[in-house]
Amino acid sequence: MIPFGLRLAVAAGRDALVRFVVLVFAVTLGVGLLLCTVGGVRALNAQFDRIGWMNPSPAIVGSADPVVWVHRYDTFDGRGIERIDVGATGPRTPTAPGLPRLPVPGEYFVSPALRDLIAANPADQLAVRFPGHQAGLIGDAALASPDSLVVVVGRTAGEVGGIYGERKVTSLSTAGRGKPEAALDLVLSVVAGGLLFPVLIFIGTATRLNATRREQRFAAMRLVGATPRQVSALAAVESTAAAVIGTLLGFALFLPLRSAMAQSPMITAQRPFPEDISPGWLGGVLVAVCVPLAAAIAARLAMRRVRISPLGVARQVTPKPPSAWRLLPVILGLLELAYFVGRRPQTSNGQTAAFLPGFLLIMAGLVFAGPWITMVGARFMARRARRLPTLVAARRLADNPRAAFRAISGVVLGLFVVSVATGVIGTIVQERSVRYNSLAAVTMMEQFDFRTGGGKVPDELKDRLRAIPGVTFVQPLRFNPEPVPDELGSVIACADLARIPQYGTCAPGAEVASVYANLIGYSHDRTSAGSATVWPATALRAADLDAFPIGMLIIGLDGSTAAHERARTTVELAYPDGVMPGTDVDFSSDSRTQLNMFQQLANVIMLFSLPIAGCSLAVAVAAGLAERKRPFSLLRLTGVPLRALRQVVALESAVPLLAVAVLATGVGFAAAQLFLRAQMDYTLTPPGWTFYAMAALGLLLSLGIIGSTLPLLERITGPEAARND
Amino acid sequence: MSALIEARDAVLSFGATPALRGASFEAGPGEIVAIMGPSGSGKSTLLHCLAGILAPEKGEIRFDGRRIDTLDEQGRSTLRRQQFGFVFQFGQLVPELTVEENVALPLLLGGIRRAGALRQACTWLERLGLEGTRGRRSGELSGGQAQRVALARGMINRPRVLFTDEPTGSLDSLTGEQVMDLMVAAAREQGTTIVLVTHEPRVAMYADREVVVRDGTVHALAGERSGS
Repeated sequence: MIPFGLRLAVAAGRDALVRFVVLVFAVTLGVGLLLCTVGGVRALNAQFDRIGWMNPSPAIVGSADPVVWVHRYDTFDGRGIERIDVGATGPRTPTAPGLPRLPVPGEYFVSPALRDLIAANPADQLAVRFPGHQAGLIGDAALASPDSLVVVVGRTAGEVGGIYGERKVTSLSTAGRGKPEAALDLVLSVVAGGLLFPVLIFIGTATRLNATRREQRFAAMRLVGATPRQVSALAAVESTAAAVIGTLLGFALFLPLRSAMAQSPMITAQRPFPEDISPGWLGGVLVAVCVPLAAAIAARLAMRRVRISPLGVARQVTPKPPSAWRLLPVILGLLELAYFVGRRPQTSNGQTAAFLPGFLLIMAGLVFAGPWITMVGARFMARRARRLPTLVAARRLADNPRAAFRAISGVVLGLFVVSVATGVIGTIVQERSVRYNSLAAVTMMEQFDFRTGGGKVPDELKDRLRAIPGVTFVQPLRFNPEPVPDELGSVIACADLARIPQYGTCAPGAEVASVYANLIGYSHDRTSAGSATVWPATALRAADLDAFPIGMLIIGLDGSTAAHERARTTVELAYPDGVMPGTDVDFSSDSRTQLNMFQQLANVIMLFSLPIAGCSLAVAVAAGLAERKRPFSLLRLTGVPLRALRQVVALESAVPLLAVAVLATGVGFAAAQLFLRAQMDYTLTPPGWTFYAMAALGLLLSLGIIGSTLPLLERITGPEAARND
Repeated sequence: MSALIEARDAVLSFGATPALRGASFEAGPGEIVAIMGPSGSGKSTLLHCLAGILAPEKGEIRFDGRRIDTLDEQGRSTLRRQQFGFVFQFGQLVPELTVEENVALPLLLGGIRRAGALRQACTWLERLGLEGTRGRRSGELSGGQAQRVALARGMINRPRVLFTDEPTGSLDSLTGEQVMDLMVAAAREQGTTIVLVTHEPRVAMYADREVVVRDGTVHALAGERSGS
């Protein structure tokens, strides 16, 4: 039976072959995307695992001699550098993955990307920041990405012990650091669901291609003695063969997709190592086994829907017309999300378990509710219809709303997913995006610790900084001794402020003004100062200022990379144990990268889900035409103009599409709002015009796809189609 | 002559509509029996019950002395494949298969190897004048050719009973006669019983005996003919 089934699948004429090829294509796409999603999530986890050693737990037990350890974030030209200073307290130091040993004082290890960066830039901008000589490279095992900039600097235990944030560690395992973003798993799970649902719809649509013809074929076989089991086996062989081939091709498709993901990050913030983008053996086996199995089960279920007797499809299981109860899953899904507003689970797993079912329930619910909405829309259309095509389309839709909705279900889910993604990601980006002060990129700051008596800024350092081409001013700020709001943490002499009027002015008559601790304000606090700022006066006199410790050293820059990095390097060398100097823009580079990743995710979802949904729509509409070619050709023979048939077909797809698209988008934003409130306490930011333009474009393209199938109508409903096979 | 295929007091309804109301019928080995009657009288339903396609709600269907109405789907399918042949009004060919594959279908379903099954199919195609159509699909055949292909498929497993339902209903009279001539000749040669449902007296003339179905019951119409 298997060879015969295979023969029927691939060599039984054009229709059968088209069905087989479309099914193979759908499964290929599904498997490829599934592998990419699983591989991407695993790559993300692998990246966190790889850099776990950088933030080891302070361990007391163990046989190794403790290492004094400080992890700081440096920057070069907008790129973050992970700098780790280590000081051994004895000969038996623990080793980190990717390093042959820990560096001793006077040497350092760098990642390959940092080595290249050092080599490509003048030493006084980067290389001299690291004391000693380059003793070797950090291996891939210790790096999140081939692009990671990491340096491990060897110093004495005493030197490292003097740096703020030091700790003693005895073991450097890769399981140190947790994920920085608890919602990431959840977002990725929703992304995976959002990508896979349209693919599953596509596979389902392809499975139903030529369904009527296949049922006739199976009925003819039953007449001449094929048993029900033989017919089921034939159907299963066809679907399973397509699924097996599609699975194999899907694995093949995964290879170029993996290369693309390794070249430019899609799911991860940084370019991952290619070997990390892997579904793993378990994931691979599950995909390889489950997809063909699911296809066979789908075929089996499809055959159970009809009982094919030797006289044809004897009993089509036709459920009652859909009722309003079908809205229940969508409502339950929304209620589920609403329940967690103010009750957010603490753990990442708990959050995933809380929110993911809600989203999946809503997605399944939309598919479930679609036929009812289609029917309601069709009945409304039937009441309003004045022309024959509208009436025919409305009646057909009302009679079989499930079939009509099936064709557009992929687009509807695509719209839902894009609405959720845009709503959630757009709001996160909006909430977290840094509204930079115009001075943020040209104002470098070095912060000093009040507890250690503030900073010392010798004149020699000021002179060296001022000698750097592109440095516009050097201005120390002193801790504000007056009881003022927290953000006004510094004081400055009005005479000094007058030399840099772009940072504001003093109130008339004042000698000393209270200013933001860093002079310009903090983007994350939404505080910002500029030339129009008039700083509040203090009771201090300029002559008294020297008595107060220096809290911040401010260096004005002209915006050039060379000046920026030379000044930074000079400050780092002057304060090797201090916090890393930088501008507000430098300090937020990490969160910018994360926001870029979120934005990237939204783009990936749009990039994949809508075209897949378009494929489903095209296949479904074309299949619907092919199924009805005889009745349509008979209508044409009886004088119904082609134009009227075209209108019927167009209305049959367009009406449910537009009706349910509105619901899908609305439910998508509602779900996004509930998720944002529950998970992050944000309020949904209404999407910009680009979203509406995209949605309108998507709908127009969908209508275009429907329109593109209409020439098929003319071709397949010619008089010859009225004859029997 | 003992009956090869028979119905005893068969009763069958479709919902509230009765189709057979105690129909009894029998046909002996090698006999050709025409079932006639007006539209909706139940003649096709009787044929479907005799062929094991439908099972009556009451009464019995026997083949070669064994009850077949009590067989399960699997048993009735096997019976149809091994003992019966079918020629219906529109051929009921599988459009995806070629002509020779359609003819060989009962053998393929029975587990015969493809090469052997196709060889036997070719023999029947030659015999029915269809040599040139072997590789064609059903959509490329004329009505008469399609019915001859259906006849070849119906006869390939040397059935003991050939069930035919309006075999010439979609054909012109000349082509219809050709199909009937071939069918009867093949059946006579192999000793196959034919149960022939028709409303055309000209087609019924090929039968040894005619019965009429009216309101779901069977009535004898005429005496035996001596093999036409």
